[in-house]
Amino acid sequence: MCLAIPMQIRTIDGYIAIAYAKGIEREISLYLLQDRALAPGDFVLVHVGYAIQKVSTADAEASWNLYDEMQMLR
Amino acid sequence: MPGPHDHAKSWLTRIAALPRTGKVRILNVCGGHERTITHSGMRTALPDDIELIPGPGCPVCICPEEDIYDAIQLALNEDVMLVAFGDMLRVPVNVPKREPRSLEQAKAAGAGIQPIATPAAAAAIARAHPDRQVVFFAAGFETTMAPVAAMLAEGVPDNLSVLLSGRLTWPAVAMLLDSGEAAFDALVAPGHVATVMGADEWQFVPQQHGLPCAVAGFTPASLLAAFHSILGQLHRRQPALDNCYPESVTAGGNSLAKSVLARVMRVTDAKWRGIGMIPASGFTLQPAYSAHDARRRFISKTTAANNPAKEARKRIGEMPPGCDCAAVVLGKISPTQCALYGRACTPRDPVGPCMVSDEGACRIWWANGMRADATGRKPDIDAARA
Repeated sequence: MCLAIPMQIRTIDGYIAIAYAKGIEREISLYLLQDRALAPGDFVLVHVGYAIQKVSTADAEASWNLYDEMQMLR
Repeated sequence: MPGPHDHAKSWLTRIAALPRTGKVRILNVCGGHERTITHSGMRTALPDDIELIPGPGCPVCICPEEDIYDAIQLALNEDVMLVAFGDMLRVPVNVPKREPRSLEQAKAAGAGIQPIATPAAAAAIARAHPDRQVVFFAAGFETTMAPVAAMLAEGVPDNLSVLLSGRLTWPAVAMLLDSGEAAFDALVAPGHVATVMGADEWQFVPQQHGLPCAVAGFTPASLLAAFHSILGQLHRRQPALDNCYPESVTAGGNSLAKSVLARVMRVTDAKWRGIGMIPASGFTLQPAYSAHDARRRFISKTTAANNPAKEARKRIGEMPPGCDCAAVVLGKISPTQCALYGRACTPRDPVGPCMVSDEGACRIWWANGMRADATGRKPDIDAARA
């Protein structure tokens, strides 16, 4: 239950962002990263709908590939 | 020197090249780690003297039986809409056969229960139904409690309350090490708990107990990097805390998330299912948020005095009869050593919580084709502890 999935931010409105991962778009909360400068295009680790960390593009893609293989992006 | 993104194979080669120090038992405390380990077949790829043990890494599995029972009773007997993470819905409690034994069965019996995927949905449902009481049954470790705290900190409507069942991971490891019965020689610390809380929470493992420790991410390469670090620490006889998930984890973690957690919740002694009380291992709401405490709003009304059936219930707080989930959670036996595994207990018809949750070791092992042999023992992982 502690697994976090990297998602790419598409748009930001206050603490709410629309984020994308592997064909799925979700509304996520940036509340726990409110002290970080975030912009559309950035990748964040998302757990139960809340971004908990900013990550690099390379890290996000490595995780996507792994989770794809393990079929955890459902 | 390989980095975290080097191919898993290069780490396997490096591990194989290390001088052997004898049998090493490495505990993980995260269902996500166990899933990567089992799915990738890492146990058979690593040298025979390295044993990988799944430990207390599943918040659903250790969620107190009493809390789930209370949630079921609340949904059945009060005019509320109860929302919970989907994993919680199938976890069985100990009740007579005629009574609903899970939230899923209570829902089938007509109770208002809805699975949610994010705490934000609990607040949204409460806003959409201002005339109804909405109760969020929230179980989880630190990674999940930070979002629950954020949801409350942002402000929620009066008709939302939280039945909090949050737990901290490190106190369970501390309890095992303090008990003198710890069946492991080193620890892989959970990467996403450490992303929020910081790697330094795990310094007590090398500093107070002299055991190697490494924080790992969720790719095979990151886990193998952690095992390599641990084996190197053992060989050099220099236990330390290593961070093998630096792309996400810092020493201090997400300080803003930690401050939100501390503002909304405080740490308290807490029960773990089948294990008992672990000091300073649970979260409870701070006084400023106690108006949103479902226990205050509902549960205290149904205490022993006016609900004798509740106290007469058998096996309160325990695992189901015949179920070895408590020993599995503590890393004392492997899933295949439980007599029920794959026989009376499968994901389709689970007996114990470890077969219910996607984070449960039994569910993960079963889903990846690990089967008990005729004796119920799997020699390669169990021999050392037999």
